[in-house]
Amino acid sequence: MKMFNEHGIRGRAMKKFDLELAVGLFIIAGIVCLGYLSIKLGKLEIVGERGYEINGVFSNVGGLKAGAGVEIAGVTVGRVKTITLKNYQAYVVLSFPKGLKIQEDAIASIKTRGLIGEKYVDITPGGSEKDIEPGGRIRETQPAIDIEELISKFVFGKI
Amino acid sequence: MSPAPLIRSIVPVFLIVAMALPVLAADPMDEIKQTTDKMLSIVTNPAFKTPSQTEEREKLIRQAVDERFDWDEMARRSLAIHWAKRTVEERKEFVRLFADLVERTYMKKVEDYSGEKVLYEGETKEGDYASVRVKIVTKRGEDIPVEYRLKKEKEDWFVYDVSIEGVSLVNNYRTQFNSILSQSSYENLVKRLREKVELK
Repeated sequence: MKMFNEHGIRGRAMKKFDLELAVGLFIIAGIVCLGYLSIKLGKLEIVGERGYEINGVFSNVGGLKAGAGVEIAGVTVGRVKTITLKNYQAYVVLSFPKGLKIQEDAIASIKTRGLIGEKYVDITPGGSEKDIEPGGRIRETQPAIDIEELISKFVFGKI
Repeated sequence: MSPAPLIRSIVPVFLIVAMALPVLAADPMDEIKQTTDKMLSIVTNPAFKTPSQTEEREKLIRQAVDERFDWDEMARRSLAIHWAKRTVEERKEFVRLFADLVERTYMKKVEDYSGEKVLYEGETKEGDYASVRVKIVTKRGEDIPVEYRLKKEKEDWFVYDVSIEGVSLVNNYRTQFNSILSQSSYENLVKRLREKVELK
């Protein structure tokens, strides 16, 4: 009687343990998937991506956000890593894939997709033989253009 | 006055001027100021206002601009990746055409000058590179921000790019040249530039 009871309890405990293990594994798998998705969708970098960084100082970034694309000829090649304020100017760090060379006289300008679209950084490659070293500075930068202000200048400019 | 006191009074003046000159030459903002003042004095000079003097006036303005602008650097930057493929003669010809094009485009603007104020806002220097920020205030009180980018060469500063309202001249031409060159040939680009320059 006593033995049977003990056996029965042990058996039920085993079964319960199996179920808990399965649920646990399922939840862990779920969390991993969720993590993967949020990293992919949020375009985050946890493990240092193979690439390098270039910084640039802009007088106005016009609401450019970290994570925005960096384009050359309309092709997204990099991302805006961070934007901070230094000496009342926008200090932007751009990340580029390894092997993509940015010439020393390349121009980085902040553009808007369409009239009211998102902001991105457009790079027009230069012709210099020197390239910007990883961690270097892109000297030629163009601020975001306030289209509204320009339109108002154009509309009200001429009397 | 005997020559001795005269020399005694001139030498210190000369020394001060000689000491001040290199300091002046090393400051990009002063260089921009000098060139601007020179151009404004030509434009506002009533002696050049007559139609017969137009050519002479244009020549003087061009001279003032040529002294301060580094056309080689500007043309090289505008042609960007396509510059390396050109021969020495082609480069020379291109620089000349490019300088002509830019001067022709902006000559009209300069000649339309009617008392706009030029305010010098500040400069930033970083090694051999500098930028000078200028604000042009129109008579209606609107201001147009202009930024000159300069490069130091032999202790003197030369302009290699101008941004007006945040739009860079080099970037503008670079995009245009690139799209022409990717659609057609270099010969076609030169032909188009020549047509534009010859068209008065």
